[in-house]
Amino acid sequence: MAVTEARPAALAPRPAARLISWLTTTDHKKIGILYLVNSFIFFVIGGVFALLMRTELARPGTQIFHPNAYNQLFTLHGTLMIFLVIFPMLAGFGNYFVPLQIGALDMAFPRINALSFWLLPVGGLTILSGFLAQGGAAAAGWTSYVPLSVQGKAGQDLWTVGLLIVGTSSILGGINFIVTILRLRAPGMTMMRLPIFVWSILAQSLLVVLATPVLTAGLIMLFADRRLGTSFFDPTHGGNVLLWQHTFWFFAHPEVYILILAAWGAVSEILPVFSGKPLFGYPGVVLSFLMITALSFTVWAHHMFATGAVELPFFSITTEMISIPTGVLFFNWLATLWKGKIRLEPPMLFALGFIAMFLIGGIDGVWMASPAVDFAITDTYWVVAHIHYVLFGGTVFGIMAAMYYWFPKITGRMLSKRLGQWHFWLQFAGFNLTFFPMHVLGLRGMPRRIADYAPGRGWSFLNLVATAGAFLIAVSIAIFFDNVFVTLRKPRTASADPWGANTLEWATSSPPPPHNFDALPPIRSARPVFDARQAGLSLEGQP
Amino acid sequence: MGQRVANASRHVTRRRVGRPGVRSRWALPTGFLLLALFSTGCAQAGATVQGEKVHGLYVVIAIMAAPIFIGVEGLLLWSVFRFRKRQRDGGLGPQTFGTTRALVIFFAIPSVIVATLFALGEQTLATVQKQDPSPVVIIRAEGFQWEWTFYYLNEGFVVSGKTLHVPALMVIPVDEPVKIQLHSRDVIHSFFVPAFLFKRDVIPGRTNTFTFTANKIGTFPAQCAEFCGLWHSKMTFIVKVVNSTDYTAWTEQQIKAVQSISCPPHGPALSIVAKDISWNTNCLAVRAGSPISISVTNRDAGIDHNFAIYDSFSQTKKFFQTGRFPGVSTRTDQLPPLPSGRYYFQCDVHGPSMSGVFIVGGK
Amino acid sequence: MSVAETTVDERAIRGTSGPILGMVLFVASEAMFFAAFFGAYFTIRAANHVWPPRGIPIPKLGLPAVATAMLVSSSFVLQAGVRAIRRGDAKSLERWLGITILLGAGFLVLQLRDYAHTGFSIHDGIYPSLFYVMTSLHMAHVFGGVLFLSLVFAQSRTGQLSMVRHEPVEAGAIYWHFVDAVWIGLFTVFYLLVQ
Repeated sequence: MAVTEARPAALAPRPAARLISWLTTTDHKKIGILYLVNSFIFFVIGGVFALLMRTELARPGTQIFHPNAYNQLFTLHGTLMIFLVIFPMLAGFGNYFVPLQIGALDMAFPRINALSFWLLPVGGLTILSGFLAQGGAAAAGWTSYVPLSVQGKAGQDLWTVGLLIVGTSSILGGINFIVTILRLRAPGMTMMRLPIFVWSILAQSLLVVLATPVLTAGLIMLFADRRLGTSFFDPTHGGNVLLWQHTFWFFAHPEVYILILAAWGAVSEILPVFSGKPLFGYPGVVLSFLMITALSFTVWAHHMFATGAVELPFFSITTEMISIPTGVLFFNWLATLWKGKIRLEPPMLFALGFIAMFLIGGIDGVWMASPAVDFAITDTYWVVAHIHYVLFGGTVFGIMAAMYYWFPKITGRMLSKRLGQWHFWLQFAGFNLTFFPMHVLGLRGMPRRIADYAPGRGWSFLNLVATAGAFLIAVSIAIFFDNVFVTLRKPRTASADPWGANTLEWATSSPPPPHNFDALPPIRSARPVFDARQAGLSLEGQP
Repeated sequence: MGQRVANASRHVTRRRVGRPGVRSRWALPTGFLLLALFSTGCAQAGATVQGEKVHGLYVVIAIMAAPIFIGVEGLLLWSVFRFRKRQRDGGLGPQTFGTTRALVIFFAIPSVIVATLFALGEQTLATVQKQDPSPVVIIRAEGFQWEWTFYYLNEGFVVSGKTLHVPALMVIPVDEPVKIQLHSRDVIHSFFVPAFLFKRDVIPGRTNTFTFTANKIGTFPAQCAEFCGLWHSKMTFIVKVVNSTDYTAWTEQQIKAVQSISCPPHGPALSIVAKDISWNTNCLAVRAGSPISISVTNRDAGIDHNFAIYDSFSQTKKFFQTGRFPGVSTRTDQLPPLPSGRYYFQCDVHGPSMSGVFIVGGK
Repeated sequence: MSVAETTVDERAIRGTSGPILGMVLFVASEAMFFAAFFGAYFTIRAANHVWPPRGIPIPKLGLPAVATAMLVSSSFVLQAGVRAIRRGDAKSLERWLGITILLGAGFLVLQLRDYAHTGFSIHDGIYPSLFYVMTSLHMAHVFGGVLFLSLVFAQSRTGQLSMVRHEPVEAGAIYWHFVDAVWIGLFTVFYLLVQ
């Protein structure tokens, strides 16, 4: 309350001026919030697409969508969720918290940071504008395999150009993160004292900077084949159809790690806080992140086992080797919990849910890493189950953990614990209802990306269950939004460090001032705020 | 202070140390059993010699995954219940940062599992990938948007379906090695028979081949597994595994069926309509010697068709061919004079799936 | 406030400066971009026994060789400029920068002239596809480099560069050397490794 009285003018500027300040801001915190808001808007759009698909698939036969519409829906669901929801969401948390966690004033290149953000909605709207084009939006899947994608109408061009824009945005963002982390750390913040979330953003950014340009190259070849008369992918003129798949997956497999590294980082940040322990095996976690970063460039062709055109043993062993560092992460997380003092606050619930669900996503990837089994289950609903256990059960649970954890820092307000628990349990139940049956559907031979299926294949009931689960997820997300909007109308009561946390973002007020810190505690370990608390130092200069 | 907390919690754990052991003694076997049931109950056992091996590998991986799954989820739940912060507890757990020895163990365990998995996987893979040198049946399977055509290369006939309406039927003999050669006419498809636990992509500009030996008689639904555009979901086919007598009977019937196609000669102006990637007839007949015109109507919006006449489906000799043209439209052409006999017509874009007999009768 | 041992304003700048590191990362990203195209080139070339494929005339070396000489020498010229500004000699920097920009522009002109003499169009199959797309993307990068160096030139003329502050020159030189190196790769695969 006192704050409100002290700075009345700062809190109630004219709406127009406020809008302009958001449009022109180069403050990493405001840009971080823009990233998050933008991602949640696309999350709702992509989620509605998913609900529409699940509604169509609830029963055999065509009920509401002609295949033409259905194919556009699943193409854009995948594209939006991957490129405009999950990645930017993690980048949003990175934007807000990397400078805070390393004790910096801002990102290394604030203006480029603003540019990276604003390219995102431009790219996203370009892709979505396909719905207004003749022939509809892109309908070749998020993987856009040629020659199918060469056949597509104008919507496919909009998809291609939109992704080029989004890719450019993420490359610029990645460079910005790396320079920020390597150059702007506060005194005492050595590399092995970096918060683990910052390490995950560093690894993720390395992947973004080195993998995304390969997608850019592929998209240019695709565009040239479609509009300039080249024949990169046309075998009748000397081209090679599989060239697209190699180019695409060389990017898209690292992309999968781009989409989860920062979630691992956030969870590795949250588990210690709510266990009252340090992160077990910090160097092992860092090593695992780096191993995965390196290995992820050697596994792309496991997406192409069924093409019969790749070196199976090589890509099989590299893929299976990824489970070594991933296994280390699990061991470290479990060892962190062991003998802790576990507080089941909403961030911790989601972090634990993350471990439980990501484990399933990881294990069912092992079957696919074995080419003989992969021949049976690739391109079936097993893959749909796998990717969602990794990116929803994994990353989205991780994102929600981060939301509940950092919301008080961003807004100065605590989200309701009770609603958070409802949100967690409904999302957990809905998620498993939706995606677990898809394993069985895959084993029963239901191919992915089909707009329709015949009755009598043992698929109908499981599809109905999955659809019911999808709506349960929608309910849980509605509760989350309700929680956010109700909380945003409440007064700012959160203290600087409401959770008893470890890292520097908790050493400043909630929300932080524009210049981030009035003063920094000494940094002598990976947990400067923990050290300061143990030493009985006050962090805010207030009681 | 931290030291005291650590001691306290160590004390508490020691008191209950027997319980997780007892629990895991029955939890693990139960877990194995459940997962084994799950994998056999939900995963198909495979209707080919190769498929059975794949199923075996699937179960082996399931058995290796079971202790990991149960171990991690169990430890997670156990930690949450056992180490949940109580009101009277101090704020912190023991401040253990982990030792190098722990990390070495953490890296070693999954490494051993991966090495085992890889070795087992390679064994099965070798069986699945092995090509039988003397297949009894050789089928060229051709995929296009959105139908399959099967050329029985030894027997010399072709079967296909009626796109969007009747799935193509592939009949093969039981216990005999069958070789499949995959070709695509347009985009990438994937030849997927769920019951065989196998699929292989059908790629333009590339011929993939594989062999298998079906060992169960039955009818198995199958379909394209690589997204191939608008009617991908309708690109189904059926594999029927029969005994050798039935197989011979079926092949003879297929050959006879083509020979018996017949129709009365039409006037000097022929017409044929393509709709849903099918012709409206499988037989056109004219009298020899008279000038003939043919009007081809393409009712498939945005899809190309053409009309061509050959000696047979193997296309050794071409007698007539129009250009490709998209629907919806009609074109009319003059046919060259043809000697009497039975000919073969098709749409070159879609092949034998859109074909029929062209009969030039005597005067 | 008692916790303040150091304040954020006091920190020292260590090691390579941010903008230079940013440029190194950008160039790494660009290297992956061109590596993808070179990967495509070698994938396709490995599947073709005759290269360039039948019907495609073997490219003539004349103009491109001159263009190559210009671009390669411009790298050395620019490096002379970098050494000059490290000594604080802005006048020499401007002279070397001017020559670099002229050589870069000359390269672009020669390349465009070469396009008129290839004897094939972009529609003529996979070799023209690779040739035109890869070389034109490279030309776009040279063009971008010329613009960037022109901005640096303007900065120097307005007295913004000195012995202490000349990051734009260093960053521009890193980028320019990279573009040069890519061209040597392109020249090799399209003009030397034929037949």
